[in-house]
Formats: sequence, C-alpha cells, structure tokens
Amino acid sequence: MRETYGVVLPGMNLAELTGKVIVIEGTDGVGRSTQTRLLKPWLEQQGRAVLETGIKRSQLAGSGIRKAQEGHTLGRTTLSLFYATDFADRLEKEIVPALRAGFVVLTDRYIFSLMARAIVRGVDPAWVRNAYSFALKPDAVFYLRIGVEDLIPRVVFSRGFDYWESGMDLHPSEDMYDSFQKYQMALLAQFDKLAEEYGFEVIDASADIRTVFKQLQAGITRVLAGEPREPLFSPARTRPAEEGEAKVLEMPASKPHAVAADQGEGDGAVPQAVAKAADGDAST
Amino acid sequence: MKRYGEHRFPGKLFVVEGIDGSGKSTQLALLHQWLQAEGYGTVFSEWNSSPLVREITKRGKKKKMLTPATFCLIHATDFADRMEHNIIPLLKAGAVVLCDRYIYTAFARDVVRGMDSKWVREIYGFAVKPTGAFYLRVPLEVAMKRLLDGRNGFKFYEAGMDLGLSDDEEESFRVFQGRILEEYEKIVPEFDLTMVDATLPIEEQQAQMRQIVKARLAQAKRLRVAP
Repeated sequence: MRETYGVVLPGMNLAELTGKVIVIEGTDGVGRSTQTRLLKPWLEQQGRAVLETGIKRSQLAGSGIRKAQEGHTLGRTTLSLFYATDFADRLEKEIVPALRAGFVVLTDRYIFSLMARAIVRGVDPAWVRNAYSFALKPDAVFYLRIGVEDLIPRVVFSRGFDYWESGMDLHPSEDMYDSFQKYQMALLAQFDKLAEEYGFEVIDASADIRTVFKQLQAGITRVLAGEPREPLFSPARTRPAEEGEAKVLEMPASKPHAVAADQGEGDGAVPQAVAKAADGDAST
Repeated sequence: MKRYGEHRFPGKLFVVEGIDGSGKSTQLALLHQWLQAEGYGTVFSEWNSSPLVREITKRGKKKKMLTPATFCLIHATDFADRMEHNIIPLLKAGAVVLCDRYIYTAFARDVVRGMDSKWVREIYGFAVKPTGAFYLRVPLEVAMKRLLDGRNGFKFYEAGMDLGLSDDEEESFRVFQGRILEEYEKIVPEFDLTMVDATLPIEEQQAQMRQIVKARLAQAKRLRVAP
C-alpha cells in the first residue's frame, strides 16, 4: 500500500490510491519540463491516463507565491511554508483524486526541490523533513543530474539569469554569475545528499534530449510494470537498499485487488487506464 | 532549529490566548493602553495579519477552498511572515510586542481539525517563546452568549463548518469550540500558560495580568517622552 513519509493528512485513505506517482527532479535548467512534456503524450499513447503537475501551480497559493517573489520580500521560513501550502493544496486537490482514479501522476519536481532550496537557505533540515512528512512516497524519483559547468551555458544562453535561480536572496552580489554559480553548486550538493537518502534513480542530464528521454522511458516502463529498479547511473551507490526498492516490489501483490474493486464501480474513461495498469502488474 | 527558544532580544513578548468571546481583545487593548502610558514602546501584532498572506487566506476562506492541511499551513505561513518581518525585528529594537493569539491557537484549532499534534508543534518550532502567555479561560456558554449578543451568526471556518459537525451554524460552533477548549486544557500545562479566569470582572482580570507583565518587564526600553 502507498505510504507517506510520516503523518497522514485527515481524510486521506491510502488504500484507495491505486495510481502511480512518477517524479522528475533536478536543479533549474536541467530539462525537466522538456522531458515531462515528452513523457505525457508517450504515456497516453499507451492508454495511461496522466496528470501532469508541478510546483507553484496550486489554485490556492501558486499566484500568491509568484506575486510575493516579485517583491522579493519573503523570509526563508515563510517561503518554505508557502511552498508547503502550495504542495498540500495540489496533493489534496489534484494528486490524490488522480491516484484514486488510477492515473499516472507525472510531477515536475516534488518535495525534494523544495527541501533542497530550504536547506540551502539555512532552514533546519529536521524541520524541513517534518514539514513535508505528509507527502506520499512516490513510486520512483528520476533525478536529472547535471554539473554546474554544463548548467551555466544552458540557462544563461537561453533565458538569462533569474533572481531566485541565482539565489540572489542568499548571496547578494552585484554579479549574478557568481551568485548563480555558488547557489546552484550548493543546491546540487543538497540534491546529491537527498538522492542518496531517498534513493533517487540518477540520470545524466548532460546527455542530449533523446538519450535522456530514452532512459526515462525505460525507467518508467519498469516502474509501471512493477519491476524492481536498476540503477541507471549512480555516483553514490552505497545507499542501503530499503525504502525505494521494497516499495516497488510490494506493488504487484497489493495492486490487482484494489483495481478489481475499482472496476466494479464502472467509472467512464478511468477504468480503461486502470485495467491497463492491472495488465502491466499481472504480467510480472 | 530549537523548539520555541528563549529569545535574547531586549524586547518583551506577551500573548493572549482563548476561544472567541473570551475577552482577549478587550484585555489586550487595556494592556496596550497602560503600557503606552507607562512609556513603553508597545506594538500590536494580530493573528492572520501578514499583508503578504492575508489576501490568500481570505480568498481561500471565502471560496471554502481550505482543507485542514492547507488551513494549517497557510496560517503557519502568515505567522512565519509576521515572525520574520515584524515580531523579531521589534523585539530586537526593544519593543514590547503584544499578540492577540499566538502559536497555541494553531495547536488547538489544527489538532481539532485532525492534524497530527506533534507535527503541528514542530511546524511552529521557529517561534520564539513569549515572555508571558495568558490563557483567558471561559465556559463555552458564556463565550457564546457574548458572541451572539454582539453580532448575528458565525463565519464558516470560525464555526468549524468545514468539519461537517452539524448543518446548524450555532450547533457546529458549539461542538467545534468545545473541542478547542479541551485542547487548550492540554496546552496550558504543556507550555506553562498563565490561566486567567475570564468570568471575573474585566478590571480584576486586567489587574492580575498587569501584575505579571510588570514583574517581567525588567529592562525593557522606555521612551523618553510618553506618547
């Protein structure tokens, strides 16, 4: 059954959440959105119903965060909690209903980006972990990893420096380049730590779009089929094999029952996607 | 992050807690007036008043978009903004800061709404410990009578209508606030709040509070000229 990282929010029945959560994580400018855009139609072609979501997109808090950022007035704890509000709203209003209907939820960033940003800004890591402990554990986290040296030309030569992506609130400096470099390196170090702790599958994002896409396709196919993961590229493969793997392994056993119960209800377009998911599981 | 650390700023922080209709605002206004007359730089900070977050909270409430989780987190965001941009700078400057509601309000309300009690306490771990915290204790019926005399009806979230306790506003308010009272009874010993009997005459309550505030003001700054 699906789990959270700690507390369960009121009114959330984990046993009902039969869909899958696939997370694409990575620092700014690694190509997450590009890949997400490619993955959605690919999954839909296979008959999977897909919900695509990403941070700052909640009805409740999304526009508020953007507005506040324009004024650059947020303190670090305030910013963290604002993002947590945005995340909770999307979790309850978008992700959970989709999972209940058996969708594949494809999310461009998850709690990990938010945790990394907060920790880099000096917020206590234990506090951050607790704050997001209501999040659902995803079925897989694909971490698009890239070094700062590869990142700079991508970001700078396409859209220029952004105030927040350059951590200007942290390293106030006349020079956006220095600030960007320092900030992104600190973020990267945090991401690498989280990758180890939470068992991300690491993909080398310095490769071209097609190569990265193929790796993601292979990884997602495996996850949806309920097969155990294989590390694609892992700089830190010393992680104890627990959470990530154990969870994926137990899926096939628990899933078909839940699906069968769901199909009985007969709910329009959704059961098709659910049935498809059940096929995938049964074949393992 | 230390949980509710003792602040080492020169200012002082006094907070008043209690259910709606306990007379918090009245007592706090009297404290405010007295402190100013005594020459202390005194500033009010109200619950849910950060300019940044207020609009979102207001919209969320109006459209009934808030769940127990987002209700909790949006209020925590508001509180964090006030903490970072208002309360801490004021304490650094040596002001006497008065808060109408503080973190204990969140502990009571959010837990009644079903949030995990330990989780909520951790979320507010960045708050500084008040110099003095008063809990105005009042029986439910007394509070309800005061509220119903003063206005007609309750607001949706204030009456806990989001919890589906009852279709009747007054009944929902009664059940919801009753549960909040029970939570406060746990909070008072846990955080060592000073209990004030809010059924006593106003001036008696005020005298008790002033005595405690005075004893804890020690080196707070006084303005040279009283305003």
